[in-house]
Amino acid sequence: MARYLVQRIGQALLVVWLAYTLVFLAVQLLPSDPVTIFLTVDSAVDQAAIDTMKSQYGYDQPLVVQYLHQLAGLFSGDFGYSLASGQSVRDRISGVAGSTVALAGSAFVTAVVIAVLLVAAATLTRSGVVRRVLVNLPPLFSAIPVFWLGLVLLELLSIRWGVMSLFPDGSFLSLAVPVLVLAIIVSAPLAQVLLKSVSHVYDQPFIDVLRAKGASRSWIFFRHALKNAAGPALTITGITVGTLFAGSVITETVFARSGLGSVVLQAVTTQDVPLVQGLVLLTATVFVVVNLVVDLLYPLLDPRILKSNGQGAPRALTA
Amino acid sequence: MARRPVRVTAMLSLAALALTACSSASSTPAAQDAGTGGPVEGGTLVYAEVTPINNWQTQAARFYEKSNVLNSVLDRLTYFDPEQGELVPWIASDFSSNADATEFTFTIRSGVTFSDGSPLNAEAVKLNLDALGLGIEAAQVQPNVDFAGYSSAEVIGEDQVKVTLSSPNANFLRATSSVTAGLVSPATLKLDAAGQSAISRISGSGPFTFESEKPDEEVVLAKRTDYAWAPETAGNQGDAYLDKVVVKYLPEVAHRAGAVQSGQVDLVRGLQPLDEDALAASGNQVLPAKGIDLTVNMAAVRIGSGKLADENVRQALQIGIDRQSIKDTVLSDSYELAASVLNHQAPGFVDLSEELEYQPDEARALLDEAGWDVGADGIREKDGVKLEVTVTSSNNSVVIKPAFELIEQQWREIGVKLDNRAGDNTFLATAMPDPNVEFFGTRQFIYGGLGPIFEPANNTMTHTSDADLNAIFAAERAVTQGPERDELLAREQQALVVDKAYSLVLWDEVQVYGAHSDTHVEFTSGTAPVFQGAWKTGG
Repeated sequence: MARYLVQRIGQALLVVWLAYTLVFLAVQLLPSDPVTIFLTVDSAVDQAAIDTMKSQYGYDQPLVVQYLHQLAGLFSGDFGYSLASGQSVRDRISGVAGSTVALAGSAFVTAVVIAVLLVAAATLTRSGVVRRVLVNLPPLFSAIPVFWLGLVLLELLSIRWGVMSLFPDGSFLSLAVPVLVLAIIVSAPLAQVLLKSVSHVYDQPFIDVLRAKGASRSWIFFRHALKNAAGPALTITGITVGTLFAGSVITETVFARSGLGSVVLQAVTTQDVPLVQGLVLLTATVFVVVNLVVDLLYPLLDPRILKSNGQGAPRALTA
Repeated sequence: MARRPVRVTAMLSLAALALTACSSASSTPAAQDAGTGGPVEGGTLVYAEVTPINNWQTQAARFYEKSNVLNSVLDRLTYFDPEQGELVPWIASDFSSNADATEFTFTIRSGVTFSDGSPLNAEAVKLNLDALGLGIEAAQVQPNVDFAGYSSAEVIGEDQVKVTLSSPNANFLRATSSVTAGLVSPATLKLDAAGQSAISRISGSGPFTFESEKPDEEVVLAKRTDYAWAPETAGNQGDAYLDKVVVKYLPEVAHRAGAVQSGQVDLVRGLQPLDEDALAASGNQVLPAKGIDLTVNMAAVRIGSGKLADENVRQALQIGIDRQSIKDTVLSDSYELAASVLNHQAPGFVDLSEELEYQPDEARALLDEAGWDVGADGIREKDGVKLEVTVTSSNNSVVIKPAFELIEQQWREIGVKLDNRAGDNTFLATAMPDPNVEFFGTRQFIYGGLGPIFEPANNTMTHTSDADLNAIFAAERAVTQGPERDELLAREQQALVVDKAYSLVLWDEVQVYGAHSDTHVEFTSGTAPVFQGAWKTGG
């Protein structure tokens, strides 16, 4: 177990370092340095002003120095300064991250509940029509654009019927509606994968044994099939973080909520490169951490992983 | 992500328009009723801006989201009265300049205080002017671009400040009326970069002060009950009628009209032309605020790629735009077509509309003459290079992208291909500093005159320093008033629009606001709502 742990954590750190390096190189590919880009957004500026600001933020240093300096900063939690607000990138992001975590976290839990309920209903129903309808819902969910659903719901609930505010006013609906909008898109891949692997599990002989022993349909589903089918869905969970984050950006804009979404939007609009850099790195880190957690949870679901000694692809066992 | 919402929102709005049109027959035009009766004291006005901003540093208030709010927090030395079309006293009860526009003297009104209690006296003004003219290095604050040539300020006697410039700048007084030249308490000037960009820490002398905020969602301003120093021509000389102003944000354009109609906001900026009729029909108000302090909306021309280096080509494109059809198709009655690079109400405006008439045949002749021949695919070419040009702009304006879509069609008819990247903010990042991207769709604040935005070699409008133009700018800055100044302003416009055609002008700058029928509000020459004089009939 210890070796597996060290290996996985080492890989995670490597990915974060590579992500940082790629982002750093991508910034160098821009036609000009971050300060010049930022200052030339709206009007002509004096070259002296650009030079002063460049030296204040260290962009006049040789590239190697900038690279190592920024890398060293990362280890001490220093992500540099947002050019637009003068705030440190860490403060800017942590100031609003809570709102996004609340939205994305609730949406994720809701998505899991939607996916499990949908798969349970599709598996347990005795009506072929109902099953066909339920099985086709996830593709529909993934086809609905997040912004469109948000706009339509706000148009109806807020402007037509007046039951909720266009702005986040702390009411139940002002959190529940964006959570639902985001949960629907996130639930789609979870439900699809879960459906597939549940049907795979049902093909296996031990289900027949359970049936022969007289277990009820719901007992088989919740106690045996779901647990055995959860592996692939857990893997997908690691990947949905991306959907969740991208969806949060759009949901927050549509619902005028504060959060990382509006920070991303502002950072891009005002050409605040250090802030964009920080956000990309944060996203990469979240991705890596979630996938790490998924990898570490895996052995709990499927002890065979540890037996394989970390060799090969453990996820292939259940795929 | 940026493109798809526009189409869908347009469709939704169309649906909304149709629905409201059906129901509007029964509603009464309340807006007219609201016009009678005097100001009502009290109440909270909810104002929806477009996108939240995080940096409130006052000198960098060169965009609407910021200046529209700070306008009510900061007072300035002078005020440009849009009705009279001239500067009037504000915190400076008197102002004057020497004949060659290198020395300016301000007499500071007595009894004015900042919201932190410190006095707004001559010394505080001097500190502010130094910060504006020289920047604040410790806080990474750049000098204000409109304060070109600023050298120093000194306090004279008890209540006067004399500013000395190293070179003439007749636009200096006008620059002191800008929100970016808003006066802040000396304590605010001493804050670091992060402190200066936090609205909670900015102390001004304006009619409203900061009360609370939810980052990226809301800013609440409360009135200063002891406010008694409005601009000389303001209708309300005392404290604001409203108790509070709540600033919220509606990044989604499709919800702005609905937000007013459903009574969730009293005032919203950035109404799209499509929603104007429906909002008016529902008994609410469509209020176009003219941007006299800005240039018109234009495509500024960059000649870096060489394709537009010949002024005949630029002139051909200028008359190859059918402006009336832009107005008929994508704009509304709130918009006035440009007749110069300055707005119709701007001081020194000259009407060049005759030179801007749509003449596709003349345009084709000019392009032929310049050696650009029509190729097999209908696109002109010269020495193997196709006349394909690109436009960039931010997505801040609700109408600029569809306008360029129309221009793309119009130019196609004279054999020019336009790659329309308007509204693509990601492209803008690389295109703004790139002289090879031929057009920059924009409008700019011109408190310092046209010089600062077209003159420097690295200016983002043209990326060109034109010696002839710069000579006119320099001459204009040295003449403070009279027919000679008007003559120089006319020459600037003639050169930019006609002779050199560096600016393909489109429509006068205007910000279209939607207001609830109960709301009474006017706007500054910079299109900012004047909350000090605003009131709500409903309370």
